[in-house]
Formats: sequence, structure tokens, C-alpha cells
Amino acid sequence: MTSPTPAIAEAVEAVRAQFAGHPVEVVPDGSGGVYVVVEQVEIGAAYVPSMTWLGFQISAAYPDADIYPHYVGPLTRTDGGAHGQAIQSVTWQDKPALQISRRSNRRDPNIDSAALKAERIRKWLADQ
Amino acid sequence: MARRPVNPPATGWSLTIPPKIWDRLSDHVLGSAARGAVLLAGLADGPRGPRLLARELILADEGRDYIPGEFGHRALAPTFVRDAVIRARDEGLAYIAAHAHLGLDHVGFSEIDLASHERGYPSLSQISGQVVGALVITDHAAAGDLWLPDGRREELAETIIPTGNLLRLRSQPAEEGRPDSLHDRQARLLGDLGQETLRRLRVAVVGLGGVGSILVEELARLGVGELVLIDDETVEETNLPRLVASGREDIGRLKTEVAARNARRANPDVRLIEIARRVERPESLEELVRCDWIFLAADGDAARHWVNGTVQQYLVPATQVGVKVPLTPQGDVGQIHTATRLVLPGSGCLWCSRLIDPTRLAVDMHPAGERDAAQYVPGVPAPSVITLNTLAAGEAVNHFVFAVVGLHDEENDHASVIHRPRTRQRDLQEPRQDPTCRWCTSTGRLGLGRKGSTPF
Ligand SMILES: [Zn+2]
Ligand SMILES: [Zn+2]
Repeated sequence: MTSPTPAIAEAVEAVRAQFAGHPVEVVPDGSGGVYVVVEQVEIGAAYVPSMTWLGFQISAAYPDADIYPHYVGPLTRTDGGAHGQAIQSVTWQDKPALQISRRSNRRDPNIDSAALKAERIRKWLADQ
Repeated sequence: MARRPVNPPATGWSLTIPPKIWDRLSDHVLGSAARGAVLLAGLADGPRGPRLLARELILADEGRDYIPGEFGHRALAPTFVRDAVIRARDEGLAYIAAHAHLGLDHVGFSEIDLASHERGYPSLSQISGQVVGALVITDHAAAGDLWLPDGRREELAETIIPTGNLLRLRSQPAEEGRPDSLHDRQARLLGDLGQETLRRLRVAVVGLGGVGSILVEELARLGVGELVLIDDETVEETNLPRLVASGREDIGRLKTEVAARNARRANPDVRLIEIARRVERPESLEELVRCDWIFLAADGDAARHWVNGTVQQYLVPATQVGVKVPLTPQGDVGQIHTATRLVLPGSGCLWCSRLIDPTRLAVDMHPAGERDAAQYVPGVPAPSVITLNTLAAGEAVNHFVFAVVGLHDEENDHASVIHRPRTRQRDLQEPRQDPTCRWCTSTGRLGLGRKGSTPF
């Protein structure tokens, strides 16, 4: 088993800081990267439940690789409507999940960190 | 200019210098005035011994840094040496002082050179805790005197510059190669030393499908001594029309197994390393970084990223071979092209050429079970035809053979070749480089070797 690179360890620390107070689970992906799950993330009144987990893979190719896609627990819309185009139901890490596919265009590895993108995804979902 | 001697790979310590760094070094020290420079270099294990990987060049300014020496001759100024050796210590890199001598095919240190090494290097080695040493070059030859941290002293067996013709410089030209009756006809072009060069090389083929199976067949028949075969897939029925020397009985077998059988049939003496893994797996990367050349014949952004990383961090040249058949959902065929891209250390990389997409790379790094669902454009099988693969594979192997035996006309020709068979055009494409690239520049991972860890 390869241990995560310094870039990944640093990214995980930044995620913990970004979501201070939330439990953050980190498991090796077997190829030098990690799976990260942030618990009890607030996504607002538009969804039931209004709080869920947010998961993603930081691969061994980070920071050259984007963080994509992101996953949350199964959600329904409070207004009963359907999810938008970038959201689909899948199985992730052996559990039911919604996959959120938001790529970073013109991504800069020095700016688009795993932590900032996770927060952007949370906010994007809350604004839907 | 006289043709440089063809030197087969030598066993022992080697120094690899990226082409752009070599150009600046040789311009500086081979000019009319006697001038010096220091190379800072990473370290890696190689196929035939430890490898020093030049990462950065510090030129000594004439008059200020390179001054009349206390013991005759000219020498690097003490402050220049101190600054460079402290950087070597802080960055964990080898310190190698370089200068030039007059001459052509032979070079060696003078008595004065050796006396100055003996006076200075034990303490430089103590300060830096790294390999320290000296390199002396002519245009056609190089010799090195290395002082290791454990007190041992080693000669440099060869200095390698992976440019248009891959240069292997020694202190004197290799002895005439032994005749090889099996390869008599091709050795008439490549020379006995050229044939010997192929026999001593360790070459990887990443991706053993349509293009890769042709590469393996040709490399083995040419007499390349050792092949590292990397692919995690098994043969499917729809592969058969493009897999060289395959049959129905191969369906379900690993592509590494089929490629190994074909290689052995082509050359019973070939040494084979079969790795039925994806290229980003540590087991694959460990083998890849100890090769002399890599052929990248796998689709996918992960393969491109990791091979590119190997080229830049471990200074192993590579050729990327690909075929693109644009097809609209309505069935309209666009401009088909085959690409044979030379990826050289420090000369612009696959990231600089925008041939890797960060999001596709993220998806490609997912485990197989999650990859399809994560795809932002659903995958459909791309068209693939053996004749198009042959065009690209032939170009790639031919370039490699000419490079390693020094048959290219232009030393600094680093261009990639794009074939457009529909219009029968053939174009050359120069690599481009982003001066802040994280991979192919001295501010990035260029030449870091083991220090940058594997995987990187
Ligand atoms: Zn000298
Ligand atoms: Zn680059």
C-alpha cells in the first residue's frame, strides 16, 4: 500500500480546516490517493434531509487532477421536483448516493484545491 | 560536423542531462573562453546502475565566478562553490562541477583537475551529505569523477543527453561491437555498435492493444534486449482484427501474456517483464522509471499523466503514439490523424501541450466500477483500424531506432509527426513549454528522481 503524497496530506488538512467541527473520514483508495467523506454538511431547506455527507476522491494525480465528481447521500427536493442535469443517483463506496458532476474549467492546480471545491459544491447544491 | 561515436549503454553510474540544459551547458563551457558551471542533480536507480539526473544548471560568470586558480588553471570561485553546495545540501541534490577540454572523441581529467578534486571534494561532500563530483566534456565525449557520501569514489560510465539523436558520451569511444549474424541485414545500416545498443536497452510499452501489439512485435524483432509490458486488460473478440499475431484462442487471456508470447517468438533471447496492472499502480511505475525509453500506446489521461511524470521526474524519454478518428453521431468522418509525439525531459510536456485534461484525469483515476458512472460524456467505443495503427507505430519505432543509433540528420529535431491520411499530409509539430510548468521545468519536478518519490 502506498502512502498518500504530501500534496494529498496537505489537501486533507485543508478540507478539515474548511469544515472545522464536522467529522471527516479519510480512507486510502489503494492507488496512492484517498476517499474523503465530510459528515453533517448543511445543504439548506430545499432538500430533505437538509444535512448530509459529502464525499469525493483525492486521487494520486492530485493536484494535477481535478476533484470530480462529488457525492452526497440520497436527497429529495422539498418541492417534490426532479434533480437537475448534473445530479444523478449512483452507488458510491457501496452505498446509495447522488453524484454531482461539476467540472472545473480552466482549472489552476495552485488555486483549485480540494477544500475550496468541496465548499463550492456544497454551496452550488444549496443554491439549486 | 563529424558524426558522434555510437556508444552502447554502459554499466555503472550515469548522468542524464535534459537537452535544453545540455545546450546551455555546452554553449557556455565549449565556447572560446574557459568557463565553468555546476549541475544540480537528482538521483534514481537505473537499468544498469545508479543515475544522476541533471535538474538545474548554474552558470559561473566569467571573471567573477570563474577565476585564475591558486594552483594554476582556472577554477570556480570559493563563494560560487559554497553557494552551490549549500543549495545542493538544502535541496538534497548532487553537486557536479562541469568544464570543457579541447578534443573530440576522448576526454579525461588533467593532473591539476584531479589534485583539486582531492583537495576540495571530501569537504564539499561532508557539507552537502550528497554526491559531489566533476564532469569534463568535449562535444563528443564526457568523463566524470564522483565522490559519494559514504567515502567511495566512482567514475561516471556515461553521460546521456536524450535529444534528437540520443547521445551517450564516454571518456573514449566504445570498442567495435560484436557482429550479430541474425541481424546482419539491419546491422548493415545500424552498425554493430548500433545493434549492440538495441540489445542492451530496456524499453517499456504501455498499452498492448492495436498500437502496442505492433510496437512489441517490431521492438522484439529489432533485437531490443529487454521489454517491460504494461496493460491490465484481457483480449476481447473485437480486438482480434488489430492484435498482431493473435488468434481466437487468445480471447480472455491477458494482453501482457499474448504480447510476451509474440515477443518471445520474435526473439527467443528477449527478457520480458509482464505487468498486468494499470500504469498508475506503484508496481508499474517502479518498472517504468528504470527504463531507457517508454512507448505510450494507451488511451486515457491517467496513462498520459503518469508516463509524462516519469519522463520529467526521471528523465526517461518517451514516444506517445495515438490515432484519432473523429466521427459525428450521424456517422460523418472528420480529419483522421495519427500522432507520434516525442516527449523529452525538460522540453515541453503533455501538460504544456494540453494533451491531458484535469477532469478526465480525475475520472480515469477512479476504480473501474465507478469510472463509467463518473464519466461526464458517456463513453462510446472509438473507431480503430489496423492500418492507421501501423502508420503511427512504424513512425514511432523508426524514430526511436534512428535516435538511439544516431541516424537522425538533425540533432535538435524534437518535432512530433502528425499524419493526415485522408488528405495525405504529413506535418511536424514543435513541442511548446509553459515556463512555470510543474513537471518539465527546473521549478517543477524535472530531474527530482527518487527524491520526488514514486509514485510522484
Ligand atoms: Zn580540466
Ligand atoms: Zn510541461
